[in-house]
Amino acid sequence: MRVNVRSLRKAGFLLLGAALMLLAGLSFYNSRHLKEPVVLGPSVTEVKKLSDYFEGLEGTINDANVYVLEGQEPGGSVLILGGTHPEEPAGRLATWILAENAVLEQGRLFLILSANRSGTTVTRLGGAYPPDYSIETPWGERTFRMGDRWSNPLDQWPDPEVYIHYPSRQELAYMDIRNLNRTWPGRANGTLTEKTCFAIIQMIKEEKIDIAIDLHEAELQYPVISVIVAHEKGQDLAAMTSMMISGMGGFDLGMENSPHALRGLSHREIGDHTDAISLLLEAPEPMLDATRGRTDRKLLLEGKDEFVVKAGEHGLLFEKIDENGWPIDVRVGRHCSAILQILELWTEDHPERGVVVTSVPRYAEVIENGTGAYLHDHRKVSPARLRFE
Amino acid sequence: MKKNFLSISIALVFLVSGGGLVLAAAQGDTPQAQLPVLITACGQSPDSSLLKAIFMRAKLEHPTPAYELILEAAPEDLTAASDAGRPFKSIMIIMGASLKGMGAAGIAIEDELERTEKLVEAARSQGISIIGVHIGGMKRRAQGADPGDNTDERSIDAVAPNSDFLIINQDGDSDGRFTTIANEKNIAILTVAKNLDLLEVVKQIYGQKYPQ
Repeated sequence: MRVNVRSLRKAGFLLLGAALMLLAGLSFYNSRHLKEPVVLGPSVTEVKKLSDYFEGLEGTINDANVYVLEGQEPGGSVLILGGTHPEEPAGRLATWILAENAVLEQGRLFLILSANRSGTTVTRLGGAYPPDYSIETPWGERTFRMGDRWSNPLDQWPDPEVYIHYPSRQELAYMDIRNLNRTWPGRANGTLTEKTCFAIIQMIKEEKIDIAIDLHEAELQYPVISVIVAHEKGQDLAAMTSMMISGMGGFDLGMENSPHALRGLSHREIGDHTDAISLLLEAPEPMLDATRGRTDRKLLLEGKDEFVVKAGEHGLLFEKIDENGWPIDVRVGRHCSAILQILELWTEDHPERGVVVTSVPRYAEVIENGTGAYLHDHRKVSPARLRFE
Repeated sequence: MKKNFLSISIALVFLVSGGGLVLAAAQGDTPQAQLPVLITACGQSPDSSLLKAIFMRAKLEHPTPAYELILEAAPEDLTAASDAGRPFKSIMIIMGASLKGMGAAGIAIEDELERTEKLVEAARSQGISIIGVHIGGMKRRAQGADPGDNTDERSIDAVAPNSDFLIINQDGDSDGRFTTIANEKNIAILTVAKNLDLLEVVKQIYGQKYPQ
């Protein structure tokens, strides 16, 4: 029997291609369906869905959980958004710490851990990002999806040639129609991402939220870094928070005003379209820098990169970096301390609308004990006190 | 207890920062100014919000509002205040620029420099004290800006040499820029380690005690 070498070679390549497709497909599938446990903390009284506020999201991947924490004493209401940009993990992890640990003495806290849940199910296309990462805890590891800046194209596609923001009609980058922080205030008949913003806006109105805090991370080559960005309604609160944190919080936190001319961002549109004060927190994340080296889990968690350090030596960065990098615990700790400071100052000035939270670690504690110290063993809690993201 | 949180915190900051507030020895006593004060900025810096927050917390006693923030203050604002029977006695001008702030407001640094020059001129003619304030640290200096962006330095050049005295976060004077100007022009300079120390500075300048 004569063997046709050419056919064999073709078949070999075909099989190799199929195997690669299978492996990549499995990776995508596993990432999209990875369950992230949330152990409900002592003050979580209810877990709602975004579709409770806008039924247009029901049945979609972005029908996110809304964790409601309530204190004994009535007071104000504060919303904290994690996962607006899921490739900025410190924000999500900070909301996780709050959900699993916070004890509310006064007021209500609303937490969304995956504001753009679709964006948590994909990493940057062609970016070779790790699909997930694990946080060490005293009882083992907790694994989280890495995510992307934009909604997954599987959930919202195609992108338009030009993205015209609603309602300002400002022209924005085409892919930002999938960017949850470019689609505020959203609309009921819009894209999935716009509908998600619309649902959160409805929630803010219905729940009479006083302050909405959107948690982010930024590349060191971006000038808006290590700051609170504040809508004019929150400038005094942000200014005092900045000074208190920089004075005694253990790290420097600047302040920027939300520009009027840049539309679609939470710090602008939530403040403009609701009664809430809107604030956005930025922590440094070297993994987002364009000049980074290998983009792996180590970089994500340790924040160390020699190429970013080199960029700093050439004066190209807006934040300092050295051989210690920007570890995840430092970034998470910054968010925790800033949130607590905002709540304390708010409560001091508005005692009747106060939100008093205890049992949440501050910057120094998160660094000393590690983020994992505040994630509880989900294998040992009753199903009634367990949710998944 | 919660009510006292800020006061206790501020006291701690003073202790931690070793008193925080430093008066340049060569200039003698703490410079004084009078209320009400107009807060403005040359370069649309959001640091003006920090200063406003300081005045809010300081709760300085004065028959009329002790302070007013007008980001784009012009000589007409001085006239209007005077006509209203509450003339400004001092002006604090925040130095350092925000490209984002100016861009959002559709303002160029040249506009800001021109406005500041006119404001300083009007203030001088009316006997109003001019206090140059830089509290953004090196992030509001050319070293902390995009390569080639010298708007921060132009803002400093427009304000610092024309001030009666300066209030500076010491981080922004790491290269001695403000100290050099102060020495050359014989201007008093108050330096703070942390912006929270500004509460004490404001108290000293306006001769009042921070409310307990």
